[in-house]
Amino acid sequence: MADDIKDKVKTDVPTVTFTMDGQEVTVAKGTTILEAARSIGIHIPTFCWHPKLKPVGSCRMCYVEIEKWPKLAVSCVTEATDGMIVHTESDKVKRGRRATLEFLLLNHPLDCPTCDQGGECELQNLTFEHGIDDSRFDFQKNRFTSDTDNTVFDDKRIGPEIILNRNRCILCYRCVRANKEAFGEYDLGVYERGNIAEINAAPGQQVNSPFSGNLPEICPVGALTSVDWRYKMRVWLAGKTPSICPYSSSGSNILIYTDDNKNLIRRVTSRCNDDIDDGWLSDITRYGYQIANSEERLQTPLIKKEGKQVEATWDEALEVICNRFKEITEKKGKVCIGGLISPSLDNASLYCSSKLFRTVFNNNNIDFRTDYRMLPNKPDSYFGMLCNRSFRITDIDDSDVIVVLGSDLIREHHNEYLRIRKAVNFNNARVFSLNPYSVKSADVAQAEIVYNIGTDEIILVAIGLAAIEMGLVEQGLAQGFKEKVKLGSLAEATEVCGVSSDDVKLVARALAGDGKVSVIVGELITRSHGREAVASALFNLSRLLGIDKKGQMAVLARYANSRGAEKLGLLPIPTGAQVEMLKAMWGKFPDAEPQTTDAMLALMHKEEISGGLVLGGNPIMLYPDRQFITEGLEKLDFLVACDLFESETTELADVVLPMSSWAEYEGSYVNLEGCNQVACQAIKHIGQSKPAFEIIRLIAEKIGTSLFESDEQMATEIEQLLSCEPDNATPDNFVDVLPLSEEVDPDFPIPLCICDDPHHTGALTQKAPSLTNFTGEAYIEMSPDLAARLEVSEGQPVRVESPVGKIVMPVKVSKHIDNDVVIIPRNFSQIRVTSLLMRKKRVDRVRITKVDE
Amino acid sequence: MFYSPVRTNAAEVAQSNRLHLFRYVEDPEQVKVEKFEEHGGYVAWKKVLAEMEPSQVIEEVKNSGLRGRGGAGFPTGLKWSFVPKDSPKPRYLCCNADESEPGTCKDRVLMERDPHAIIEGMAIASYAIGCHQMFIYIRGEFAHCADCMEKAMKEAYEHGHLGKNIHGSGFDLDMIVHTGGGAYICGEETSLLNSIEGERGMSRIRPPFPAIEGLYSCPTIVNNVESLASVPHIINHGAGWYKSLGTEKSCGSKIFSLSGHVKQPGNYEVELGFSLKKLIYDKDYGGGILGDKKLKGVIPGGSSTPFLTPDMIDIKLDYESLVEGGSMLGSGAVIVFHEDTCIVWVIKRLIRFYRHESCGKCTPCREGTAWLEELINRIEAGRGKPGDVEKVEEICGNILGHTVCPLGDAAVMPILSTLKLWRDEWQYHIDHGKCMVKTDFEFK
Ligand SMILES: Cc1cc2nc3c(=O)[nH]c(=O)nc-3n(C[C@H](O)[C@H](O)[C@H](O)COP(=O)(O)O)c2cc1C
Ligand code: SF4
Ligand code: SF4
Ligand code: FES
Repeated sequence: MADDIKDKVKTDVPTVTFTMDGQEVTVAKGTTILEAARSIGIHIPTFCWHPKLKPVGSCRMCYVEIEKWPKLAVSCVTEATDGMIVHTESDKVKRGRRATLEFLLLNHPLDCPTCDQGGECELQNLTFEHGIDDSRFDFQKNRFTSDTDNTVFDDKRIGPEIILNRNRCILCYRCVRANKEAFGEYDLGVYERGNIAEINAAPGQQVNSPFSGNLPEICPVGALTSVDWRYKMRVWLAGKTPSICPYSSSGSNILIYTDDNKNLIRRVTSRCNDDIDDGWLSDITRYGYQIANSEERLQTPLIKKEGKQVEATWDEALEVICNRFKEITEKKGKVCIGGLISPSLDNASLYCSSKLFRTVFNNNNIDFRTDYRMLPNKPDSYFGMLCNRSFRITDIDDSDVIVVLGSDLIREHHNEYLRIRKAVNFNNARVFSLNPYSVKSADVAQAEIVYNIGTDEIILVAIGLAAIEMGLVEQGLAQGFKEKVKLGSLAEATEVCGVSSDDVKLVARALAGDGKVSVIVGELITRSHGREAVASALFNLSRLLGIDKKGQMAVLARYANSRGAEKLGLLPIPTGAQVEMLKAMWGKFPDAEPQTTDAMLALMHKEEISGGLVLGGNPIMLYPDRQFITEGLEKLDFLVACDLFESETTELADVVLPMSSWAEYEGSYVNLEGCNQVACQAIKHIGQSKPAFEIIRLIAEKIGTSLFESDEQMATEIEQLLSCEPDNATPDNFVDVLPLSEEVDPDFPIPLCICDDPHHTGALTQKAPSLTNFTGEAYIEMSPDLAARLEVSEGQPVRVESPVGKIVMPVKVSKHIDNDVVIIPRNFSQIRVTSLLMRKKRVDRVRITKVDE
Repeated sequence: MFYSPVRTNAAEVAQSNRLHLFRYVEDPEQVKVEKFEEHGGYVAWKKVLAEMEPSQVIEEVKNSGLRGRGGAGFPTGLKWSFVPKDSPKPRYLCCNADESEPGTCKDRVLMERDPHAIIEGMAIASYAIGCHQMFIYIRGEFAHCADCMEKAMKEAYEHGHLGKNIHGSGFDLDMIVHTGGGAYICGEETSLLNSIEGERGMSRIRPPFPAIEGLYSCPTIVNNVESLASVPHIINHGAGWYKSLGTEKSCGSKIFSLSGHVKQPGNYEVELGFSLKKLIYDKDYGGGILGDKKLKGVIPGGSSTPFLTPDMIDIKLDYESLVEGGSMLGSGAVIVFHEDTCIVWVIKRLIRFYRHESCGKCTPCREGTAWLEELINRIEAGRGKPGDVEKVEEICGNILGHTVCPLGDAAVMPILSTLKLWRDEWQYHIDHGKCMVKTDFEFK
């Protein structure tokens, strides 16, 4: 906050100067007295005020006295003006605050000894500071009791992870305001009025948004507590370690609370970083830590003997790995080992893997993109260029126009979704959502454009044509743009996409204006092999409308360290600059043919790759063609898999190595904007597990090469690679847009999208009990209309068939979807959703039938 | 004949060339647009559209000295002039018909009996501030008023007084009749706006004031029904004429809702500066105290205003005089209490109302009114403890001036005034466990 204010002052906005407790203060005009006080270290107590919410001035705790004002002023909503003389600790102020505290405590149960908020309760702290030690209220206190029991204790589970105790509530309304303002949710409300007003879940609803875990965190008292943390331990006994979310690509800053005696993580809270997470955490970030505590964690290495995996020592396991890899290389040459590396791992692990493959196995068979389909083998593709553009999260805040293409952000980039909401709330940003089905996160959009699936690039072309037809662009540019597209007119383009040209014009007009722009391309594009066409169309649109000069456009990195993986060159073909740098560091660089994930799998099928290393992640569950990857891995002579848990992938492995979770060692991660952040070690290694980078180094050593002479060397090399800034290159001119269209098999008419559930990501979070409390099993999400035509209702099972697979799962009816696209989350191993997919398809299509029970 | 057969002084008004609001309220046909037009309705509206610039309308209303009739008495023309001239945002007008202040029942009569007068006033105000979408927010319990307004609105559209290109002027104006859920707080202007927006009826912090950032964050004017209904008359007869009514600073006429222990409760339109004594005792108005008892006290401006005592009976009913007398004109609801009234009982009844109506937003009002109710109930029932009266006074002090909206002040001002005027009665309840006045009256 203090910095914010200083910034405001710097950028020559008008200022005001006034006196506070005898000090002269100069702040930007519009700064409240409270903010000004905080900027100079004067503490004014508050309840309802929250730095990330619009102030409402309701609790009446933050009184100050302003000379010549007849009444006390509430500092959280009173702007400082020139010449004001403010007193924050006068007798009148103290009396006012004491009166407020007395009012707040009238009906408060004072059940502090059994309250989970103890030690971090703002009411407790402020009463201690200002309060009176005696109650003058000699009436029966107001009591809420939960409907289910008849004790005086209110204990109502209003969401999968939230417990409400209305008696402790001081009605500061922070929770309801945050829920509505910051998260766009209406599942929590205020009912009744006056002193029987109560916070509660909306009738018949659960408080279960993907941000619900923030509510207990911002509740100043113990009225909202989380199931996860409750009664586990007293907060002052917990160890606290600063860390980074291992799931989100923005790298939310977190604080890990540990029970050091039991070596367990107890909870995760926000370690607010205004530039990154803005103080909000998604539930995935908050509860995802639970996988580290899981009883199911792999404890020891396993070696397959006579078809069965049996426990072994590290020495035995490393010995086998070394021997088998040597054997394979001797038999087939050095290119026959491939590596699939998880982009959720820290920099050291990723970099060690790259170095192992390139300097020891001497090949370029390495990729982190295991859930992409049909990756091109070209380094300088347009999509590659788009991935290598800079992006800043905070630049969303003051964008005037925000376009999201191909993403339901709430399932993919939680933090950025909240940023967009913030831009709308505080900066009147206009948001446009372009997707093949209507998405939840379009709730802030001025216009939501739902286009025919598989026409992602055409919709971008249509926007350009709309701008041209409205005369918003210069003739020469218009000519250049039109030459590269096969579609003559806006009408033709909108016809292909199945959208209204009015909507497209709205986007075109917004993008053609002078306002700051952010264009975000999401995973529906990234993971599809339409990505090249989309990237070229986007570059053309940017050239036409000057988008990249007015702001930013980027493909957002998907996993905690995807960006790091790119920067460290963990791709089959790193950029030219990276190769130069690596050559200089290593003294060599393999000239073997580079192989992407798909290419490696194809070579496994042909038995040209016979050894495999899977480091973290569960590619069998995530790769978009289960049959293809399973058969490929099965054909390997030897597979090593390292992970936290047994999985479909480790099942196929000849050696399984137990990996430490991110909380068990210090590691650094590069977020989607290129910011390198450190996660410290919070707990000791579970069982015999080891960090991924250590495993790689041990393997190299066993084979006979030491990857680094010292830890410092490793650190320096990583640092050097990370120092490369994105080049922000754009094509020199308009480029061809080559639309990809596919025949639709009439037997399989319904398009299928695979996404994350809003409470899960990838394959690991199904091991976090809190997250499975929200969603525990797979479903197929569809429009009410489609459900009606299939004659199924919520929860009823349907059979979903594609040309290659068949699965059965229950239906989830989603009111916001209004076309025939269906969505299945990929996070649940009970159903093998990737078995429906074919890697060569741009759009997967299925047939759905009702299952008669 | 009428849905709410309240007594009015329409006959007197009809004879007068100075009063105007009640001229036709006893004519059952007045609700029909034809009759209204026959009586000179919508002439002002046509005149404004044809001959006046918006700024001229504002000037005219400013010059007339019209002040808000909703309670605060803010100069109406001045309020309109706060709407930013250069804002690209739409502007809105909201007619405040939430009339819930205990004792007040004047807007209801206007809505039921002369709805077009309100529409005409709203239309002129809309024109003046450049608004094309106006709302009337009607108290939830007033279903009948909402019906009347709906019907009138339909007719106004049919007769071309609303809609597109009104009377060929090129000016468009639409109207929405919006009913509340039945909450006193929704009469407070910012809560009213929240309620129209579909939010919970809770007051907003001011500034920003609605004229700058109101409904949907756009410039918005909120005016009381009676304020707006006065506007056409100002246009018709001129600002000078209106200013000549009433006193120098309290111009025009005002409807007083007279209730309590009087023989003839009702709504009476009189010029501001009218004598309180005449209103209560004159045979054309209150007709004297019930049972010809002695007067004990009067609340002159709705339940939120401090009491007057019999020695002030000669006070004039205008903004300045009442402030001088320690009270306020408020909404003009004069509630009369005779000598047998237990003042603690009256306060008990009032605090129950305020506690029930507190929106719950700010701590002092939410918690304080409830605590007060408990204490006052106990005192009234004769179970008060020594020190309770002082406690009541102190709690009132902790509420007064400490709340988000004026409801908190409104709740405690009458209490504080009775503590000053009839402290002995309060203390008697504590000391003797019973009331010092007769209590065998039923307050209606
Ligand atoms: C608790 C409370 C209740 C109110 N109720 C009403 C009401 O019912 N009708 C009304 O016109 N004004 C009411 N007001 C006053 C309005 O806030 C506002 O001042 C008024 O509508 C402005 O109109 P005017 O300027 O024409 O008087 C109330 C104010 C408060 C604080
Ligand atoms: S539940 Fe907590 S955050 Fe919500 S209003 Fe009550 S005290 Fe405030
Ligand atoms: S004073 Fe009462 S009614 Fe007004 S905002 Fe506060 S709680 Fe609500
Ligand atoms: S913090 Fe200012 S009123 Fe609550």
